[in-house]
Amino acid sequence: MNLGLDRNTIYPATHMWRRFSYFFFAIFFCFAIAPNLLAQDWIKSGTGLGVERIRIAVPEFKAANQDPRNSELLRTFNDTLWNDLTNAGIFEMVSKSFYPLGQIGAPSDVKFDTWGQTPVNAAMLVFGNLGASGNNVVVQGWLEDVKNPNSPPVLAKQYTDNATTQQARVIAHKFADEIIFRLGGGINGIAETQIYYVSTRSGHKEIWAMDYDGANQHPVTTLGTISLSPHVSPDGSRLAFSSFNGSAWEIRMFSFDLNRMVSFPRYGRTNLSPSWAPDGTRLAFSSSRSGTPEIYAVDQSGGNLHRLTNSGTTNVSPTWNRKTGSEIAWVSRHGDLPKIFTMSADGTNVQQLTDQGYAVSPSWSPNGQFLVFSWMRHYGPGAPGSQDIYLMDVTNKQWVQLTHDGGRNDFPCWSPDNRHIVFQSNRSGSLQIWSMLADGSNQKQLTTSGTNSEPDWSWK
Amino acid sequence: MASGEIFFEHERWGRNLAWSAGLHVGVTLAIFLYAVVARGGTGSNWGAGGGGSAMGVTLVSTVPLPANPIDTKSVLATESKGLSQSKPQEHVEEPDAIPIAQKNAKKRPVPQPTATQRKPQQPVQEANNVVPYGEGGQASGPYSMFSAGGAKGGIAFSGGGGDFGSRFAWYVRALNQKISENWLRYEVDPRIQSANRVYLTFDVDRSGRPSHVEVEQSSGVPSLDISAVRAIQRIDNFGPLPAEYPGNKVSVEFWFDYTKR
Repeated sequence: MNLGLDRNTIYPATHMWRRFSYFFFAIFFCFAIAPNLLAQDWIKSGTGLGVERIRIAVPEFKAANQDPRNSELLRTFNDTLWNDLTNAGIFEMVSKSFYPLGQIGAPSDVKFDTWGQTPVNAAMLVFGNLGASGNNVVVQGWLEDVKNPNSPPVLAKQYTDNATTQQARVIAHKFADEIIFRLGGGINGIAETQIYYVSTRSGHKEIWAMDYDGANQHPVTTLGTISLSPHVSPDGSRLAFSSFNGSAWEIRMFSFDLNRMVSFPRYGRTNLSPSWAPDGTRLAFSSSRSGTPEIYAVDQSGGNLHRLTNSGTTNVSPTWNRKTGSEIAWVSRHGDLPKIFTMSADGTNVQQLTDQGYAVSPSWSPNGQFLVFSWMRHYGPGAPGSQDIYLMDVTNKQWVQLTHDGGRNDFPCWSPDNRHIVFQSNRSGSLQIWSMLADGSNQKQLTTSGTNSEPDWSWK
Repeated sequence: MASGEIFFEHERWGRNLAWSAGLHVGVTLAIFLYAVVARGGTGSNWGAGGGGSAMGVTLVSTVPLPANPIDTKSVLATESKGLSQSKPQEHVEEPDAIPIAQKNAKKRPVPQPTATQRKPQQPVQEANNVVPYGEGGQASGPYSMFSAGGAKGGIAFSGGGGDFGSRFAWYVRALNQKISENWLRYEVDPRIQSANRVYLTFDVDRSGRPSHVEVEQSSGVPSLDISAVRAIQRIDNFGPLPAEYPGNKVSVEFWFDYTKR
């Protein structure tokens, strides 16, 4: 920008005083050039419509030594890394059948020509080696820019951990997240995130947790009653849910730091669907303590109770704007059917988002731009009755249908990277947890045993 | 004789004095005028390191100086492109910057080709950048390019260190991707079939945060300009600049092409 100013002044000078132009020009040129040399780099770039996925090749990692455990660890590691990158939604994975022969264990093994040209034609190459020795496994991983052989390194990492398949999985998750963070525009990957949900497989409806890809499923609560609507706090330290205590539905709190239930005030009658504000200091939920179910907000400790709605009808399922924390979307009965509304976090400025049908279970996207919710757009006698996941731009109320496969799809929840949505569906015959990319593609079933419902994706 | 000599001498002195006085006055005037012209405009501005506004950019094309940055852009852009094909030739072109600096008057004529060919040339150069990248194979993702739905975009680098684009092509690519993800086509007036390219500039600081989003050259379609600005504003973070990069920020010029599908 300095250049611009200098040039302005040169312009009249050179024209008015041609005879001195040599002199002027020389001097001005010096001054014009000087700031340019000091300036920071410029990038010039542009876009048309659409998004192109990065073509990435991930050859199997190489064994770094002869340890017999390597093959097992490598299998776990390679599978996990491949799946994580596939699931990220920003890569086009180059099929392994195209890869040149020979394993790559270190940067010196890479021949950029073969990887950068057809048929592989990868833009990025992930490779490395893994070796167990003693109790530990050491993984070295690289990410290199194949199309830029003069300066290929993007990322080089070394991990050391216990030589177990579980830790190999964790290392693969971490490395995948690093890659996704670099190439995905600074958004953290979700490979290390958790999904909390309600499962009946122990005989009662308890809160369970699993990795984002459905692995490692395990129970969180063992209350022996009915527990619903889990919602984990933004820092991941606490889990709020509602549970039936024999006479009333109360908000309960589980601490992951203490690994046990912690106390939380009881408000009486039916208290459901707790939802954390993005700063983790407040909690919104639905309570019928004063008669009809209304939305309330409390501090994280349960104190300082505020009532936000006063409509006299049913108000449930609050969800905070995860970016600003200044708005809440929730479900309110309007006429005979539930519809989705938004309001400021103090209860003012109420706006209606859906105008027809039966809409429930809103979840606000991490970037604050979208709501996903479950909607029977045509409800009533003669209507097809399918319940699908929809995405709506909050500012202009334009919506997109994400699921079309029939069955009842409900309780959508965003992943922290804003690229994935987890939801429950009975399309497979029983109620199970599914995940998909936020454009509705790549739908996958995550759970199979028992019935599983009401998923909640951790914030990080 | 004597008086004649005296008169003669008088005349000689007078001429010399006149010449002397004339030259002095001339030189003084020249210095004075130079001071007025040169200082009045830029004296205060030269010192101001980064404060320049974008206003000057429009005038650039008429002055020989801008040739340098522009040339550097395309050269560097082709440099990264050349990596997949043949860079050495393009490197040779780079020194253009130096000759211009040394002999301005002689090179003045140079603008003639500029006047006729430059405008066509620039787009062509960008198109060149675009094509070679893709030539590696159909699906290969060029760092410089997006194309979908009949619209595309391109990339080039220039500036101080000048090697950001070639060293950290992956970062530029991620940046491209992120902007594309955040550009919502439905914000553009649906009656628009196609529009001129809109150019934006913005900075990315070390932590990856964009700032100073400005429309450098409007497309003439307000809704398209706004949608482009919003695409950038919607982004909180592009991800931290590569740790190896020494600078505090990167300036980005980004263009958007819109063609209705």
